[in-house]
Amino acid sequence: MKTIAKSRINEALAILAKESKLLVPMKVNGISKYAPWGSEGTIQFEEVNTLLPPKDTLFPHTEKMYSYKIANQEITELNIHDDSAPQILFGVRPCDMQSIKCMDDVFLTKSYVDDFYKNKREKLITICIGCTKTAPTCFCDSMGVDPSRHEAADVQMYDLGDSYGIEAQTEAGQTVVNKLQELMEDQAGDPTAVSCTLKVDASGIPAKLSTMFEHPIWKEISRKCIGCGTCTYLCPTCYCFDMETTNNGNEGYRFRCWDSCMFSEYSRMAGGHNPRPSKNERIRNRFLHKLEFFNERYGKNLCVGCGRCIAKCPVNVDITLFIDKLKEVAADEPV
Amino acid sequence: MSQCKCENPLVPSVVTVLKIVEETSDIKTFHVSTKDGKKPFTPMPGQLGMFSLLTVGEGMFSVTAQGENHLEFAIKKCGMLTDALHEIKPGQMMGVRGPYGNGFPLDLCKGKDMLFIGGGIGLAPVRSLIKYCFEQREDFGKIDIIYGARSMNDLCFKEDLFENWPKERDTNVHVTVDSGDENCPCHIGFVPAFLEEINPNPQGKIVVLCGPPIMIKFCLQSLTKMGFTDEQVITTLEMRMKCGIGKCGRCSIGSKYVCLDGPVFTMAELKHLPNEF
Amino acid sequence: MSDTTVKMRDIAKDLLDKGTVHYIIGWEKGRFSNQSPPAFITSAAHADRLIWDEYCLASTAKYLLDDKFPAGKIGIFARGCDARAINRLIQDGQINRENIYIVGICCSGMKDPATGNTADKCQHCTHPNPIVYDILIGDPVPETDKPERFKAIEELEKLSPDEKHAYWSKQFEKCIRCYACRNVCPACNCRECFVDQYRVGWQGKQNNLAENQLFGLTRAYHIADRCIECGECARACPMDLPLMELNRKLIKDINQLFGPYEASLDTETTPPLAKYHLKDLEEFM
Repeated sequence: MKTIAKSRINEALAILAKESKLLVPMKVNGISKYAPWGSEGTIQFEEVNTLLPPKDTLFPHTEKMYSYKIANQEITELNIHDDSAPQILFGVRPCDMQSIKCMDDVFLTKSYVDDFYKNKREKLITICIGCTKTAPTCFCDSMGVDPSRHEAADVQMYDLGDSYGIEAQTEAGQTVVNKLQELMEDQAGDPTAVSCTLKVDASGIPAKLSTMFEHPIWKEISRKCIGCGTCTYLCPTCYCFDMETTNNGNEGYRFRCWDSCMFSEYSRMAGGHNPRPSKNERIRNRFLHKLEFFNERYGKNLCVGCGRCIAKCPVNVDITLFIDKLKEVAADEPV
Repeated sequence: MSQCKCENPLVPSVVTVLKIVEETSDIKTFHVSTKDGKKPFTPMPGQLGMFSLLTVGEGMFSVTAQGENHLEFAIKKCGMLTDALHEIKPGQMMGVRGPYGNGFPLDLCKGKDMLFIGGGIGLAPVRSLIKYCFEQREDFGKIDIIYGARSMNDLCFKEDLFENWPKERDTNVHVTVDSGDENCPCHIGFVPAFLEEINPNPQGKIVVLCGPPIMIKFCLQSLTKMGFTDEQVITTLEMRMKCGIGKCGRCSIGSKYVCLDGPVFTMAELKHLPNEF
Repeated sequence: MSDTTVKMRDIAKDLLDKGTVHYIIGWEKGRFSNQSPPAFITSAAHADRLIWDEYCLASTAKYLLDDKFPAGKIGIFARGCDARAINRLIQDGQINRENIYIVGICCSGMKDPATGNTADKCQHCTHPNPIVYDILIGDPVPETDKPERFKAIEELEKLSPDEKHAYWSKQFEKCIRCYACRNVCPACNCRECFVDQYRVGWQGKQNNLAENQLFGLTRAYHIADRCIECGECARACPMDLPLMELNRKLIKDINQLFGPYEASLDTETTPPLAKYHLKDLEEFM
């Protein structure tokens, strides 16, 4: 396999950063996230995963869509905002790579293509690093993700101890690999296979859930939920967004931003009616969306097993415990 | 620059409001066309448009009718955006994008007798289909329209209800109000009860039903009693929509997006969706 | 298994069997050994899920707001901080004392699940024994003075205005506006939070430093004299914002201006900002 010595990785990053914005896993102000290489913070390749997912690379937390100017009754200007630029996401883990595939399904398929996402996606190169160890909260391999690699990444890298194995998987990936030729060596080495310690049996879940809409299990698991947005904002696959306007007199702009189905006003309609008035309905909607509805619509789970929600929920709402419980209960019997 | 040539589905085109018709005290119909006097898009009956006052925001509204060069949206005053829309004057420039939604299943309706049941503002989305049926009269059989509102003052599209539509071939228009006095020219009573009085024959009919949830619920009960099947009844759902293109998640019910897979659904399809209403 | 756990389970079984309460809020084990999240026990048969250990960090009191008009009494296990939180809710007119049955537990402190050391929120605890309860279990814990209560604040006060601005900007840049801090806080009990008042428009959903600071600082001011220093906000924050430093700064100022004060030790004492004395300081007028 072609490899790059870990001692030379900074040289590789310097080359990559020449023509693109290079995003690497870093600790910034105590929080691990993907941040521009060279910005304030410490690089972290040894951590299993970042706390903040890389979804804001393609789907920013807040994004300007278009700006306008008004004079009397006339709209004198309407300008679409496009700040997409070449980006390289370096060190993305297979779980997050799978989340990018889910996002691609949402934003690029089914009748409409979201241009704001597409412009960034076309200019993004993904360099995936397979995991050699897992966190106690990781369960990606139960959700159909291989912790050691992801075939959709442009470049696949493997942690071989003193060096990284490196393989291009797409044309765009080959362009990147070509740039790093002078740093590469040939080395024999097989990446160590790793599997998650936390396992769940996710088979048959969508079919079972489709019969459980009125099941009392929802009340039981939703009681301790505090209704914050932590799970949705840390989740690499949550994509719900809101669109609002910021207006300053005669000009302003329309933006979109992350929204959360856990907030009570999310489903509130004009006139005040709310079809999901309590935590019960909202947690039910969230879990059904992750494990059943998305599967029905796009043919894959919307949970990639990254474990961030399990690690950070203030009251330990745990989707894996929920899946375990699902296996135990009969679809039509009380909990 | 006044015209935006956008293919970005989240960015509106610019239109001018040509005319505003006051249907009732809280419902107005807005006629819009582009700066060069054209339709911004050509919707099929039942499709929607995202209509925006740029300084305030956007809202999804049914296209209730279209001419050769303009579109009509009927908007009820019930929130921040619609309050602001009700204040504007003809000549105002707005944003509009569309058409969105699946529209009415014309293939299902062709050759059938049509029974339209509407309540309040619910007539707005259905009106586009009624007009289509009259424009393509040979493609449809008998047409019955049952429509009700709270009072005489709350009836929408009075010109259509009392003058235009009753004149059409093989068409009956039945109007009712929830309450009225002895001078009231039409029937007095709630729509579901009125429906049962009229007692339509389910044979060869397609029912298009749209109105407040409570009206839909009771009308459905009545229709089932009278022998109509779930496949014969079509309705159009109302839900808060933001992106209009099936991505933001706001209007999703189960695995469907009301803005993309709907808003028109048959009762049979609705019964397969999670019971969130 | 600890003595307290056994007692918790016995009491729960008793209360539920007799119908004294129709459910009781406590803690149970999560998947991992360092997780003991809240549990809702609805029948005596489930009482053995209850646990008392050093990871029972989450407060039980806020859940009382989910059931303001309960069909029967609500049982609740309450440590020192939970008891003050219950008083907070009673004093703010959000719940009725008659609707709850409090099983007080004397608490010697919880551990931080990440490090195994004493949790931050427990380090400054001055009331480990619940100040309101119907029955009490556990051995009373000696109450000690906590002279370090305002130490971090005093360090921050020494910074120049520019340094303070830089410090807090760095913190609020991290905020993801999940509102976990607001949702766990017993003093945040408004039926409609200012953040959700869309038509008025105080706060949008955009994530940027200005909006984040607006939220964080406004919340601190809204709870200022009612904060019980339970530390749940800082514990719940997924981005580790030092929210208690904000809250404690306001408490320190209130103590200086209006006399030493600890919120919710009872339900009668009016919070300092809700009353005035003719002798109040006037230098700023």
